[in-house]
Amino acid sequence: MRRNNRHTLSHRTFAWVVAAIVVAAGSAILVASDAAPDRIPSLVTWTSDNIAAATSGDAFRGMLLAKRCDHCHGAEGFTAVGSTPNLAGMNKLAIWKQLEDFRSHKRNSRVMEPIAESLSSRDVADVVSYYADLPVFTDPQDNRVFPEAQPDAGHAAIASRLVTFGDGERGIPPCQSCHGPVAYRVGVPSLASQNGDYVLNQLEAFADRGRANDINMPMRTISALLSEDERHALAEYYGAGLGLQPAGASGAK
Amino acid sequence: MFTVLALCLIPATRYYQVDEPLLRFLRGSRHVDPLALHLAGEFVENNLGTEQDADGSVTVRMIAQQYLFVPHCILVPAGVPVHLRITSADAVHSLTFNGTNYAVKVLPGTISVAELQFPRAGEYKTVCREFCGAGHYAMRSELKVVPRDQFPALRAEERGNCAAQ
Repeated sequence: MRRNNRHTLSHRTFAWVVAAIVVAAGSAILVASDAAPDRIPSLVTWTSDNIAAATSGDAFRGMLLAKRCDHCHGAEGFTAVGSTPNLAGMNKLAIWKQLEDFRSHKRNSRVMEPIAESLSSRDVADVVSYYADLPVFTDPQDNRVFPEAQPDAGHAAIASRLVTFGDGERGIPPCQSCHGPVAYRVGVPSLASQNGDYVLNQLEAFADRGRANDINMPMRTISALLSEDERHALAEYYGAGLGLQPAGASGAK
Repeated sequence: MFTVLALCLIPATRYYQVDEPLLRFLRGSRHVDPLALHLAGEFVENNLGTEQDADGSVTVRMIAQQYLFVPHCILVPAGVPVHLRITSADAVHSLTFNGTNYAVKVLPGTISVAELQFPRAGEYKTVCREFCGAGHYAMRSELKVVPRDQFPALRAEERGNCAAQ
């Protein structure tokens, strides 16, 4: 009798436990489906505090720190490696934002993420200041010359048109209205002396969402609108150093 | 006397921290921080585009920025009320749909709200009509109005756009 009683009791507890698990799991699923996580491209905001932090570095200390960057980014901010950007004369806010995004893993790179994580906020500001102060224009004594290869005539015309006018029909704004030399938006990199292969890599990464750290998606939108041929044309144009001179209203050179 | 005055000043200096609800009331419900649209709130990336409402109408959320409308192509069903909510990340813009009389002024820091309806299916060019900077003249995008039966059924957390069609 007693044994039987205990038996029914344990059955009842078991049923309660099962019910509790079912309810808990069900509510967990409901919560999960209700709140889709926000996709956040970058933790950076352009508040005056952040802008002050990014532009107040010490270039001399940055020069000492940047010795370890030489190997890939070149001794004077110009590189021969296609996957690595030229940093000489780059806007301070642009380099700062990318380093911050590498630190917060919003932009992915097996090389740059650990490096950026190892830098303190002050180190980042100093390195940024050093690269921003390096000169862009080459002089006759200087071996940092742009590649001799010029884009072919067809590509040069396409790129020159996109850089100067964009394409109003498709809603592509001109590159030079944000990336210089005509105008810059806050935190946008200068492309005046950028490495061609790097430009192409980034355009392709933006188009297939491999890189997604642009705030409010401007580059993901524009890269997806560009054709394969246009991306190559733009890379050749900037890689040949044609971005240094503002393209005139005459269009193709 | 001095101590009393000093004590009175403490809440005043901490106004922004203490009176956040009052601040929200004074600014109104349509206030957003234009610099932090991407971090939280209704204009985060995955909330942009067309949202299906319970009563059959749709809500469209967009960001205008130099020199793009995001998302670049909007998809809405024809003959259905469209609640447009748009804000600017930088300068003053103006959203117009060619071939219609609609024009929406877009200001940074404020959500511009408009009630639209497109009776006929078709493609409309979306144009910025407020000079906003060097690339203003190329600031265009597209609005695609499709018949109601061709508009995809969207789940609550899903946002429609042309690419998804």
